Amino acid sequence: MYNDKNAQTIVDYIKNFTRKNSLFMLAYGTGCGAIELPATLTSRYDAERLGVRGAATPRQADLLLITGYLSTKTLKRVIRVYEQMQDPKYVIGFGSCTINGGMYWDSYNTIKLLDKYIPVDVYINGCMPRPESVIEGFKELQRLIAAGKADGATKYKENLDWYRNNQKKVLKNWPLVEYNW
Amino acid sequence: METSYTKEEILAQQLQAAFEHLITEVVRKDTVFAFAPKEQVSSILLYAKEKLGYISLSHLSCVDWLESGELELVYIIWSPETKVNLFVKTRIDRENPVMENTDMIWRQINTYQREIREMFGVEFPGFIGEKEFILEDWEDAPPMRRDFDTLEYVNDTFFEREGREDKQDVRERIANRSGEEIPDFAKKYSRE
Amino acid sequence: MNTILIEILGAIATILLAFTVGMLYGGARRKVIARIQNRVGPPIYQNFIDVVKLYSKETSIHHGWIQHMGPVFAITASITSLMFVPILTSGNWFSNLNFSGDLIFLIYMMVFGSLGMALGAGQTGNPNSAIGVSRGLSQMVGYEIPFVMSMVALMTQFHTTSITGMIELQAQSESWMMFSNPFAFIAAIMAMLGMFHYAPFDIVHAPAEVASGPVSEFGGKYLGMMMTSGSIFAFVKLTLFVDVFMGGASNLIELVIKTFALYMIPVLYGVINPRYRTEQAITYFWKWPAFFGLIGLVWAAFY
Repeated sequence: MYNDKNAQTIVDYIKNFTRKNSLFMLAYGTGCGAIELPATLTSRYDAERLGVRGAATPRQADLLLITGYLSTKTLKRVIRVYEQMQDPKYVIGFGSCTINGGMYWDSYNTIKLLDKYIPVDVYINGCMPRPESVIEGFKELQRLIAAGKADGATKYKENLDWYRNNQKKVLKNWPLVEYNW
Repeated sequence: METSYTKEEILAQQLQAAFEHLITEVVRKDTVFAFAPKEQVSSILLYAKEKLGYISLSHLSCVDWLESGELELVYIIWSPETKVNLFVKTRIDRENPVMENTDMIWRQINTYQREIREMFGVEFPGFIGEKEFILEDWEDAPPMRRDFDTLEYVNDTFFEREGREDKQDVRERIANRSGEEIPDFAKKYSRE
Repeated sequence: MNTILIEILGAIATILLAFTVGMLYGGARRKVIARIQNRVGPPIYQNFIDVVKLYSKETSIHHGWIQHMGPVFAITASITSLMFVPILTSGNWFSNLNFSGDLIFLIYMMVFGSLGMALGAGQTGNPNSAIGVSRGLSQMVGYEIPFVMSMVALMTQFHTTSITGMIELQAQSESWMMFSNPFAFIAAIMAMLGMFHYAPFDIVHAPAEVASGPVSEFGGKYLGMMMTSGSIFAFVKLTLFVDVFMGGASNLIELVIKTFALYMIPVLYGVINPRYRTEQAITYFWKWPAFFGLIGLVWAAFY
């Protein structure tokens, strides 16, 4: 006799193993924190040995790095990009501007909390984070995927109304259909 | 006995001779201010560009005088031969700010006019360019004016991260937690 | 009945062999490039992990049924080409569908995969895909000319159009065709640089130029199928060149050694070169490689 639960965990283990060891990162630098990405991906702090490589379009990517502050103009485009990616997808918030507004805490044009507009899995602290911190962030995401807890995408689908309310509060002239997948 | 004039004083005298209602002032070396009424500005700029050799536009800037209810526009132009900055200043009314469009003299002034239109609300009727500059779908008051309360707008529209309402100093807290002392030379940067 | 069963099993074994070897060569390529750039690269089995992850995506967004068919055409072309290339010189496990005219058939079949991808990319309506497709097909016009010239030179010289015939001729005369007609070999190697779409001819799917060209709207399962078809097709090309120019291989280890040695030529040439524009690439192919192909044809006529 074979145990259903055991077979399920083996399949889950293989799926999570492949998902965590090959992350396709969308090459989109939304803010000034993106200056640390070339340093992380090239020779000295090699991020390709973890399996991270750059993807050119949102259809091919499954990791979105929000590197820094987001003005309302950029937020509209980032939401559109996030909804174009295919499940399962992860978001990493980079730098202190995504955590609490950072240096632009009293600016009329940038958003302060990223968590209310798109679901975020891992935050990386710093302004900007050094490449060692970035790699530690990737490894933290890998730990979350292996434990099965990186479920920002399902959270977004279930609480879509709440996210849409927050987004429409900041963005007038709403350009998308009500759902996009 | 002849007094020799510096190049700034020569410039001030030339402008004074050509235009009435003009107040010139030599502030320091290589800088001359000229206060003019609103209608004379474009003729002063054209005269300076064609006759006096001030062919290069450096900047167009705007200052908000809230107490007297006026906005002041400052045109900064520069001559590469005599290397003198000329500041042409005018004041316009704050409630209904309309200024003449000067992009037939220098075409690149349109960028500055777009920015001033968005940030201060000054209209330049007839300039060539799009209306929106940086802020997309902005419907409130122009944000660079002094009576626009940025902090109140931010607290209304955006969320704030909980847990920092008491606004403690991070270094003091870490020092208390590990039982150390902040040295004296670093104490002057504490939030006191 | 027994022979049909063995043939079907042989076909499945060939496909699995091509898939595994192609993926491992892709991983080896990434490792070689990483070592040249003075860093540790991903592990050699990284391409397997990529493909399995792409196949396990949960949603698949597409723009119409022709976009479904694009990767299917590409895989069909790769597997069909695989069936007609003799993997080993003897033995009946891997001799699949070889017949007497298969070299001419292969020259046509190898073009079919790009056509499928072009159809699928056209349905998406993305302008980046359209630009990538037109550039890809223009480059194909470039490298097909020296390739066909060298193949025709070989067919003329040895009076046969089947690849197994060429392998037997090389075994009989105890010298590889690489040395019997060196100009055809040089033209074919230069054409091979274009067929692999590595630098300097990778303007078709460069991420910084055209947002990866025809595959820009393919995600998830479609991208997994394109990667699979690409690796099988790489194995097809390498095995074809080894069979025609280097005398085939009598067992698997010799096949792996010979194909890996041949594979290092486009990889090492590509890792140090920047990218050609499309018209520069076509000019490159129509100058010296075509000249060598002509000399090869003349050599074959008078030899």
